Amino acid sequence: MTAKPEVSKGKKFTAIWIIPLVALVLGAWMVAYTYMTEGPEIRVHFKTASGLTAGKTVVKFRDVEMGTVEDVVLGENLEVITAVIKMKREALPLLNYETRFWVVTAHIGGGGISGLDTILSGAYIQIAPGSSNIKALEFTGLEEPPLTPVDAPGIRLILLSEGAASVGPGDPVLFHGFEVGRVESLTFDLEKKQLRHEIFIDAPYHELVNSSVRFWDVSGISLNAGAEGFSIETGSLKSILQGGVTFAKPPDFEVGVPVDNNTEFRLFPKYDDILESPFGYREYYVVSFDQSIRGLLPNAPVEYRGIRIGAVKSVLLQELVEKGIRDNAKPRGVPIPVLIYIEPGRFALPDTNESLELMRKTFEKGVRNGLRASLEIGNLLTGAQLVELDYFDNEQAAELGEFEGYVTIPTVVTGLSGLEQKISRLLDKANELPIGQTVGSINLAVGELNSSLKALRVVLENDDLRTIPAELQNTLEALRSILEDEGIREIPGELKSTLAAAKFQLQGESTEAYQLGRTLKEVESAARALREFLDLLEQKPEALIRGKQNLEE
Amino acid sequence: MSGDTDTAASRGLASCHVCCKLASSAIHTCPRCGAAMHLRTTNSLQTTLALLITASILYIPANLYPIMITDTITGAEFSTIIGGVVLLIKLGSVPVAMVIFIASVVVPSAKIAAMFYLVWSVESSDRENHRQRTKLYQIAEFIGKWSMVDVFVVAILVALVHLDGLLVIRPGIAAYSFAGVVLVTMVAAEYFDPRLMWDQLDNKNDSET
Repeated sequence: MTAKPEVSKGKKFTAIWIIPLVALVLGAWMVAYTYMTEGPEIRVHFKTASGLTAGKTVVKFRDVEMGTVEDVVLGENLEVITAVIKMKREALPLLNYETRFWVVTAHIGGGGISGLDTILSGAYIQIAPGSSNIKALEFTGLEEPPLTPVDAPGIRLILLSEGAASVGPGDPVLFHGFEVGRVESLTFDLEKKQLRHEIFIDAPYHELVNSSVRFWDVSGISLNAGAEGFSIETGSLKSILQGGVTFAKPPDFEVGVPVDNNTEFRLFPKYDDILESPFGYREYYVVSFDQSIRGLLPNAPVEYRGIRIGAVKSVLLQELVEKGIRDNAKPRGVPIPVLIYIEPGRFALPDTNESLELMRKTFEKGVRNGLRASLEIGNLLTGAQLVELDYFDNEQAAELGEFEGYVTIPTVVTGLSGLEQKISRLLDKANELPIGQTVGSINLAVGELNSSLKALRVVLENDDLRTIPAELQNTLEALRSILEDEGIREIPGELKSTLAAAKFQLQGESTEAYQLGRTLKEVESAARALREFLDLLEQKPEALIRGKQNLEE
Repeated sequence: MSGDTDTAASRGLASCHVCCKLASSAIHTCPRCGAAMHLRTTNSLQTTLALLITASILYIPANLYPIMITDTITGAEFSTIIGGVVLLIKLGSVPVAMVIFIASVVVPSAKIAAMFYLVWSVESSDRENHRQRTKLYQIAEFIGKWSMVDVFVVAILVALVHLDGLLVIRPGIAAYSFAGVVLVTMVAAEYFDPRLMWDQLDNKNDSET
């Protein structure tokens, strides 16, 4: 039996343990890396999941992958779907309250053909970061891709129109036929019954927009046949085919002030409408007429001393009836309210809100000074009427009133109908006169006058009375002979010389007068001495005996 | 001492690792080729254990991460091992799925488990079932290399399918991890000295006598 060889146990630890350690470190690093680079999980709601595939559809920002759709689930109320998206960590700054998501698929529309690459690669979700500071992880996706990036420089405006929609999203916005922007969306405002176009005008052309520009529709071809012949108006070929909006400053308009984002403009159906009513700011007033308004049609002019300043909007008959029912008013004699509008731009004021304010104040003051509205005949043939504003000096001061939320301007009745009213009023008064009684008294007076005249005649026919003229003549002749006597004639001359002498005397230029003056002075000094003596005697009677000097000692 | 337990070691002889010359275990270099000579592989159990732990760690990303990334024009597709198996079953290719499942999941995990068991059994001087353990070792060593099938498939696909822009296949992290698992387990099996199992038999017999 040989000795059992020594089996060494070896080292406690060998270098081989570095290998699992390295593996462990690598594994830990991988876990840490994954954790560190893990982005947020966001949820985006869409109406449909069209084009979205879990695990495949990516989220892109400027064509850089920012995340992947992990799951597509149906919302709780079955009305929306929710795409659960795992975002990359670097996408974190993109996610805020205003961030918008939309699905990009191949799209052929007004804005051109886009997203062709998605035919092969499948749809992807585009992300447009917002500028808000509020972070968010849940979003509602857009159904339609926005035509303009959120951060694109330019200006976003709102056009309101009442006509039929012929301009749609993607249609161009032109300036002198050059495309400077596009229509982004078209919605219908149920409340105002207006079409609402959101348009975007790219920088630097947004500087062309100011408060005095007007927008009009240049869709299709406009053909006008009139007394001046035919006229055809078109925009660019693109706008003929798909519609468009153009804008310009109407002639004779001052350049307005720059406008803010989301400023509302009216979209006019055609250019001629702008020339007719190019003003954007207007104030509505109600004028109530206590007379027939036959011939007063909508769009009838409202004039100030013959200058057009606005137009008639409508007759507020319904409001009147409603108010009557509500107030339980008497069913007759209520003036008919007519809604008119007045545009400050027509007073050569700038077409701004400030002018509107100025106009309101002017009217308020004006009404106190006799500004009144009246109905005037505009056309004698057709009987068309218009509303005239003017100052009436003999009107009482009044205040602006209120009718169903509108400001009312007091009215007066003038013109033909005014005349008619005045005459009828006169006749009414004449009717009321006590003519029978008056005629009776007149008859009586006439009778009395008659008898008086008769009596007068009797007196006049008396003979004594007839001699009076002859006697009077004799008397006058005697008087004349007296006056023509020489002595009498000299009287004025003598009187004159006497008066001159008296004047001479009184002026003190004769010796007699001088002497008289001296005498009077002496008498005066004598009187003074006598008064002094009498005073002394009264105070010191002993002076009479002792003398004045002794007394003083 | 029975004849069947008569070993080279018990006779004081050691085998050269390189040229298998038997020489006295007292000399530490092979008289024929000059290589270092040991009675048993040095630090066999420790090395095997360390490598097994490494393989276990690598096995986690190998299964969690995609082994193959298919870039098509519609986007990238990531396939994990299990995902591939599931996909193949869904597509009806059950046999292929089974091959991949066995080669990529069953074999490596079974081998790692078997090696752990063997190391443990040697360490804890378990003297039972040494025949089964020997068999287990043989099987583990034999089939271990077949796990590389998966890695080879990926490697071939990566090399072949490279149509720029249309279809590109790239190896994922799992491919590297999986290759690591297979290699490390093979090295672990190599480092495991089976004679250690049989030494216990001698020790048992020694203690009996």
